[in-house]
Amino acid sequence: MPEITVDARGMACPGPISALTRAYRNAQNGDIIIVLATDPGFKPDVQAWIEKTRNELVSLTEEGGVIKAVIKVTAKK
Amino acid sequence: MANRVIIVGGGGGGAILANLLQPHGFDVTVIDKSTSHFFQPGNLWIAFKGVSPEKFLRPIPSLLKKGVNYVNDEVVSVDLNERRVTTRSGRSYEYDFVVLASGAELDYSAVPGHRELLERFGDFYSSPENSLKLWNTLRGLKEGSFVIGVADPIYKCPPGPHKGAFLASELLRSRGLAGKVKVVLAVPVPHAYPSKTVADILEPELKERGVEIHTFFTVNEVDNRENRLVSLEGEDIKFNVAVVVPPHRGPSYNISPAEVKDQSSYVKIDKYTSNVQGFDDAYAIGDCTNAPTSKSGVTAHLQAEVVAARLLGYDARYSGRTNCPIITDGKGTFVISDYDHPPIKVRLSRFKRLMEDLFVATYWSAVKYPEFWSPIFKAYFDATDEFIRRGEGW
Repeated sequence: MPEITVDARGMACPGPISALTRAYRNAQNGDIIIVLATDPGFKPDVQAWIEKTRNELVSLTEEGGVIKAVIKVTAKK
Repeated sequence: MANRVIIVGGGGGGAILANLLQPHGFDVTVIDKSTSHFFQPGNLWIAFKGVSPEKFLRPIPSLLKKGVNYVNDEVVSVDLNERRVTTRSGRSYEYDFVVLASGAELDYSAVPGHRELLERFGDFYSSPENSLKLWNTLRGLKEGSFVIGVADPIYKCPPGPHKGAFLASELLRSRGLAGKVKVVLAVPVPHAYPSKTVADILEPELKERGVEIHTFFTVNEVDNRENRLVSLEGEDIKFNVAVVVPPHRGPSYNISPAEVKDQSSYVKIDKYTSNVQGFDDAYAIGDCTNAPTSKSGVTAHLQAEVVAARLLGYDARYSGRTNCPIITDGKGTFVISDYDHPPIKVRLSRFKRLMEDLFVATYWSAVKYPEFWSPIFKAYFDATDEFIRRGEGW
């Protein structure tokens, strides 16, 4: 399945979630989107985004100040 | 021989730059496919206050200092290696320096149904003509909902949709329709405004006026038969009248090498110097670039000053400073930030609304005589930069 990596490190809020939205527009069900971000606001934002869109959050981790969200696209119509 | 500078675009950034360079002996040529310059925030006044479009339109040559060359033609290609700009009429212009200041392009075909929506209602975003159309559309709206949506997170004038919502609610209240027509604002981001700090200031004001806010709503389709906006995130909103801010992209004219454009066709620049990546004799300013700051007039203006200073031999750099005005029906505030600092909390006040109104009143003069106005703006920016650095508002 295609894997799309969105490098939003260094972007301030709402840069990472905006970058995710733009990647999501071009994604299809089954795709994996990986977002890398350093803005601490990204964690609650991506959780709220998942809740809204009903896609699948495979993992949400943080290491060395970098937040990594792995999202499986499941809810596109 | 004087250095030849070609400026592509006679909007705010291009005209200010031309007028800053002309007195210093440059051979400056501005090329624009339009004969008129329109003050883009004026669209709000046309759409929601019925102000005549003529107030916000000027012939481009009238805004350029004597001695600046103006060419009314459409640029079709810019060859950065050969230092040549070619236009639709087949003319070719060689340069010593080129500055791309052509703005962002609006793509009404990216979202299904969007162009038809624009033709039905107009909007307050694209042109004076479409703004006048919206003013006439809103005259006929007596009940239901007026929805303002956004189709992509990157668009010019981030507060534009919010200003539209405030001014629409003011207009409806003045017509006695406050309880009959609902204003709805739908945004792609998690909060009412892209910056959480600014959202915290605006959201209570919007709610107080009865504006319904939808977050994580990126318009993905306009269903004109059912009169609803459908979002990328899976929600839909019914409307009687709707306006959608379209996806934007960078210049459609060819630039070679093609690698200087990003995936959305924006011109890749050094965010501090405005140099097109890899070229010390080419610059891009304003909405046509990929600089990670707001697509706004203030950015174009400050980048124009930086490019002018650099062409004069100074090591000037743009800090990423924004100062985007947001107006409600009586107050104003500013989104103040730079590359290193997120927006600070700037409280709404009547005084800041007055500042915005004064700025609008001085706009044409500020474009034509930047050497007079720049020290005034600089004093304001210097004073408020302290607040950014301390992370506090005023």
